[in-house]
Amino acid sequence: MSGLKQMWRVACYEWFDALRSRRALVVLLLYMTAAVCNMYWSINLLHKLESELVTMLQLPPSEHTGVISTTLWKSKPFQRIMQQMAQNDLVLQDITGKHPVELIYAWFAFFYTPLLVVLVAGSRISEDLGSGAVRYVVFRISRSSWALGKFVGQALMIGFALVLSGIGAYAVAKYRLAGSGTPDLFLNMVQWSVRAWIFSFPYLGLAMGLSLLTKSASKATVMGIVAITVCFVITILLRHFTADTGWRSYLPYLGVLVPEDHKMYMWRNSLAPLVTGTVYLITLGFCYLLAGYAFFRRRDV
Amino acid sequence: MTMDNAIVTTDLVKRYGARRALDGLSLAVPRFAVLGLIGPNGAGKTTWMMSVAGFLHTAAGSIDLLGCGPFDSSVHRGRITILPQDSELPLESRPIELLTHYGLLQGLTRQEASQSAQAMLTEVHLGDRLNAPIRSLSHGMRKRVMIAQCFLGYPEVVLLDEPLSGLDPREVAHMRSFLTRRRGRQTLVISSHNLHDIEVMCDHVAFIENGRTVRIATMEEIVGTASTLVYGLTSLPEDLAALAEIVPDTVLTCKAETVELVCRYNPRESSAEAINARLIPALLTQCGVLTVSQGSNLETEYLHGQALEPLLR
Repeated sequence: MSGLKQMWRVACYEWFDALRSRRALVVLLLYMTAAVCNMYWSINLLHKLESELVTMLQLPPSEHTGVISTTLWKSKPFQRIMQQMAQNDLVLQDITGKHPVELIYAWFAFFYTPLLVVLVAGSRISEDLGSGAVRYVVFRISRSSWALGKFVGQALMIGFALVLSGIGAYAVAKYRLAGSGTPDLFLNMVQWSVRAWIFSFPYLGLAMGLSLLTKSASKATVMGIVAITVCFVITILLRHFTADTGWRSYLPYLGVLVPEDHKMYMWRNSLAPLVTGTVYLITLGFCYLLAGYAFFRRRDV
Repeated sequence: MTMDNAIVTTDLVKRYGARRALDGLSLAVPRFAVLGLIGPNGAGKTTWMMSVAGFLHTAAGSIDLLGCGPFDSSVHRGRITILPQDSELPLESRPIELLTHYGLLQGLTRQEASQSAQAMLTEVHLGDRLNAPIRSLSHGMRKRVMIAQCFLGYPEVVLLDEPLSGLDPREVAHMRSFLTRRRGRQTLVISSHNLHDIEVMCDHVAFIENGRTVRIATMEEIVGTASTLVYGLTSLPEDLAALAEIVPDTVLTCKAETVELVCRYNPRESSAEAINARLIPALLTQCGVLTVSQGSNLETEYLHGQALEPLLR
């Protein structure tokens, strides 16, 4: 049996086992609830804003929430404001014209996925190291197959959670926004879930790579949370300290090592940036995992 | 390494900080032997097993497992299994699916893995708890699942660290019988503090102290079943020299603390029946005879230091 097949067996069992883990289920349910509630409240807010706009501008009232927002999206002054906020013309160009519901969900998924990853997967490996469960496996398969299998299993689990939350958010949109429950919107929501899933890879690699360093599940979770915070902080610092000349002009290259730097690719429509971003993010995920594995392969279990 | 040995470890050193858990431990386990590892707490028994299974990285020394060098999952997968100490199984898993999964990982087909898992769980009397979550099983039941996973797919070498601790008396008796039946078919290494269990199950014994092998011998050499007679007496005989004259081809020793007379003989030159026929009448003239048994026992030999004599000499 090849190492790849062994890895796949571990991955499938890990996914299956993770679905039964009480903690993972609770986090998954919380995430889904948050996605659904976020959608519900955002639509309410959108509805209120539109009502205010209708009253203020004395426009004819529309039947569906989102119609005015969609019109607003297409106006040049509004696009200029958004351009300044997004700091990326191409992204703005690609998201213009998308249904507000999609954008609300996409923002939610991209923002909270790192936290979901750390809470669901951050301690899975260290739990096995701490309890000694790893000892029943590593004389049957190689350590690399085991670590990689755990990573892929958790990736499947995160993907499952994201798709479920996407479907949940779509269901709310369909219920709250009459005429919005189109198959197109459903497919787009699933597509955003898949993009968020790809974006989760580096965080998954980071969380599981750190998990390989310790036998304490709580320590692994804390390390994961600290790591994603550090990633965010680095991204912000890079944005503000980069200059056109001197050593600070090289800072953007450092951003290649941080997942946030590749997030904009995932907002794009065309295939080329999506593929580039996917390759970057998945590679980054495996690199983080590999760094943890380099320590794990030499440690006692 | 010759093909007569399943495991050969030479001068193994394992350090935890300044302390040496293994301090040049050398041990050869004969193929198809059931070897008992005996030693005080912290002697290095568990460390040795974990090193052999590839869990620990040693600082020095060599390990040769089944003639293929140190543990390598690509070479030894399915050929060696271990019951590690203090290691929990995944709590949400079910025994049958977990053991099937382990069987698949060690290279069995799905059908073989499933059949082997079912057979082993039935063997350890968990046939009615195949689908119960591990979390819901008692400590003893979990231990039985742990033992069952060791025998999936008939591995050549099985390392068992305290296999019978935590089991109820009936299960202990059953597992002793199960493990004893493995003699001559698989190589088993059993670490236990229960010397009676070791004596019943094992045909070889290794004594380990302070990270070193003190002695390795066959059980026969240690307890001398075929070369020793032990007489339980009402009081110690007054004239040992007179008794020695009656059975000149033997060595007689009195044990004051247990009020026993130990008679060591060469089984090629004499038999237990012949010695009894001459010695018992003479003994009865000096004291009462309560019991006659063949051989000593491991506990006596270990506790009274006689098993370690070869090293001390």
